[in-house]
Amino acid sequence: MSFAAERLAAGAERRGRRPDALRLAAFGFSAIAIAAFAGLIAVFAFEAWPFFRAQGLTGLFGVRWSFRSERFGALPMIYGSLAVSLVAVALAAPIGLGAAVFLSEVLPRRARIAAKVGVELLAGIPSVVYGLLGVLLLRDAVARLLRPFDPISGDTLATGGLLLAVMILPTVVSLGDDALAAVPRGQRQAARALGLGRAETILRAVVPAALPGLGSALLLGLGRALGETIAVFLVIGRQDNQWPERLLALEPLARAGQTVTSKLGGSETFLAYGDPTHWGALLALGLLLLAVVAALSFAGSWVSLRKVPRA
Amino acid sequence: MRRWLGLGFLVASGLCALAVLAVLSIALAEIIGRGMPALDLAFFTRPSAGAGYEGGVLFEIAGTLILIGTALAASLPLAIGLALAATIYLPRPSLRRTALSALYSANAVPSVLIGIGGFVVFVHGFGWGKSWLGGGLLLGLMILPAEAVALIERIEALPRRYLDAAYGLGLSRGQVARSVVLRQSLGGLFSGALLGLARAAGETAPILFAAAVFSGAGIPRGLKESPVLALPYHIFVLAQDSFSPAGERHLWGAALVLLVLVASLSLIALPARLRAHEESRHG
Amino acid sequence: MLRARLGLLLIATLAARSAASAQPLRIVGSTTVNPVVVEAAEILRAEKKATIFVDTQGGSSGGIAALGEGRAEIGMISREVEPDDATKFPKVRFQATRIGIDALALVVSRDVWEGGVHVLSRQQVQGIYEGTVTNWKAVGGPDRRIVFFNKEPGRGTWEAFAKWLYGDPKKAPDVSHPEVGANEEGRNKVASTPGSISQLSAAWADQKTVFAVAIRRLDGKVVAPTLATIADGSYPIARPLQVVTDGPPKGLAKEMVDLLLSQRGQALVEKHGYLKTPTGGTSKK
Repeated sequence: MSFAAERLAAGAERRGRRPDALRLAAFGFSAIAIAAFAGLIAVFAFEAWPFFRAQGLTGLFGVRWSFRSERFGALPMIYGSLAVSLVAVALAAPIGLGAAVFLSEVLPRRARIAAKVGVELLAGIPSVVYGLLGVLLLRDAVARLLRPFDPISGDTLATGGLLLAVMILPTVVSLGDDALAAVPRGQRQAARALGLGRAETILRAVVPAALPGLGSALLLGLGRALGETIAVFLVIGRQDNQWPERLLALEPLARAGQTVTSKLGGSETFLAYGDPTHWGALLALGLLLLAVVAALSFAGSWVSLRKVPRA
Repeated sequence: MRRWLGLGFLVASGLCALAVLAVLSIALAEIIGRGMPALDLAFFTRPSAGAGYEGGVLFEIAGTLILIGTALAASLPLAIGLALAATIYLPRPSLRRTALSALYSANAVPSVLIGIGGFVVFVHGFGWGKSWLGGGLLLGLMILPAEAVALIERIEALPRRYLDAAYGLGLSRGQVARSVVLRQSLGGLFSGALLGLARAAGETAPILFAAAVFSGAGIPRGLKESPVLALPYHIFVLAQDSFSPAGERHLWGAALVLLVLVASLSLIALPARLRAHEESRHG
Repeated sequence: MLRARLGLLLIATLAARSAASAQPLRIVGSTTVNPVVVEAAEILRAEKKATIFVDTQGGSSGGIAALGEGRAEIGMISREVEPDDATKFPKVRFQATRIGIDALALVVSRDVWEGGVHVLSRQQVQGIYEGTVTNWKAVGGPDRRIVFFNKEPGRGTWEAFAKWLYGDPKKAPDVSHPEVGANEEGRNKVASTPGSISQLSAAWADQKTVFAVAIRRLDGKVVAPTLATIADGSYPIARPLQVVTDGPPKGLAKEMVDLLLSQRGQALVEKHGYLKTPTGGTSKK
């Protein structure tokens, strides 16, 4: 793409034409938008500062959260967030990517469009309605499913993970389809010309070419799962300090837990405002969440935006 | 052997697609099945009563509409500004990837953090208390990145010859932006805005912190201390309760109303988006 | 054209005037007090065209916080105002007005009740809370694990519970259980989880989905939470239902408090299963 035309026009403008009102407006509005997001980060940093001053940068990395005793160890919550999100991705990845392959490579155009409408519909269901479905449908089912692990009730990390898997499924399917669709036709034609069957074409030619895009679909899905609040809040049991004895075991998933988002979205936030250290701890937690989700999303987008070689 | 494996793979992927379809069907069946009995004219025209379980959701709907209208008004100028700056005024290819990734990251900011930010800035900092404007602005901030991306992608998809012709005729960038780019990409703006509205309508966390109360608000007057009722918050509070049969019907009715609102908004935008997607398939 | 402009000006001033005269009354707090206040608000709204917002974010402590931070004119609490509240918000003169009395019940799920657990002593409850008693058969029930749903600390119900067990909520040990927030949520969780027990306002225990156990007092007497035993003080865990203001209530807040203390307001208190305040119901309104 050549930008020569714009450059010429820009040059002409610089050489003394009237200032362009639209340009000013565009830059002005952009500045406001960027300032708003920067302001959000600044607010969090500013409000978290009293906590960092009191307990240092590692104040959050303890195993016990008990605000009455000024202990703000958030590791169990971080574990909770990671656990439910990784369970969600582990469930949504094979199903979502498999569905994406089917949508992109097998379905004829009409059926694909119909399927995409369905995926859009799924993506549009608000998280509070998912939470409602989780409370009413998932809890009992999970309690029965996890009986070998003897859960207390259906409010477990596993329930949260399952619900999140459903919620990020549309993201994975839709972005996965985009990634597969972006693979140039030439790749497929070449593979077929070499005698590969349909499935082999997909597995050996298309998917490898789309791998970065598929990976980014998963990264973005992970980011979405980490950031989800309302649905997780309703089904996770909200039990603090559930630090597992063994980090990679499956049993802790059958217990109630707490995630960073379920803590922030709960009523403790309303109580904490008057106490600088307590409030600061919660906002420091928010800052951590922000950093992780932003990094994951940035990485995921960066990967998917690479220039696709046109064959 | 190869053939069977290949077939197996295709069948497996088909099963995955079927699984997604099944999930969708179950979800919709439950919401519609449980919510339909609650929907009569009174549900839409009467306010809620009896600690939220009885009556209709008139003011919850009104509040949601006020919030998303505000969000749209606040976010659209900013989104257009960002898109124009990125595509017309500063089109540096090396920065494109960074800029778009930044927008995607901004889009992924968890809504609970936006809500808490609003609590600090609008409720306390500006002293607005719970207000519809605070909630609307927060929702606007939330949907702004997606709108900007939709518009940027649409602008970038414009046939190059339109721009070349315009510049060739000696138009300045501003004139090109106004008469060619914006006019041609209104479709992208439209669908981006609709998707943003759909998302804003369903969000709970920002309004929980800055705009909604559970009972007592009608049509807000003024700016400060003027909260609204809203469908997502209403559902969220009631979802944590033990249901009486009537209450449960009301709750699912509200969920169905919200779903229909969100679905209508995103489905209007769908044909254009699908067309764009299909056109860009396979390089 | 001029007439249109004048018309707009007139409408604007009318709107501004009516907006100014309707200073909203914001009420935040306990889910126990909420049903009474919500109905009282509906009455006031109808009779005085008042603007009243009611919310329950954060429960009793959320109400104190809202009052302290200037986000509400009235806080609803199901406990006493505590020294900690004053320390946290030194600029506020918390003035509490009692509008009713409620008891704190320990409610169990149907299977536990039908399994024979109808009475618990304070010691047993303490054991359950601290995790030393983990099976219902240790207290006369079925052989099943005990699931304790803890009220969020910060809820008036939890404070009353901690006070009963330990004398002072601050002396409560640091234990972690799955948490429930509002009364509504607590009732739902216990009703739907076998083997469970939680703290709940006695008025919310319907003896159909959740069952309130009687308490065996230190002197051996077994007392169930009924209005009679709460009134005569024989049930040991009672707590006040109060509305709190910054200083004496003024304006619309005063009208609300007066309404709550009046015959009509106290009738609402009773309607929702609580006990009238001893001095309540005397002013005719």
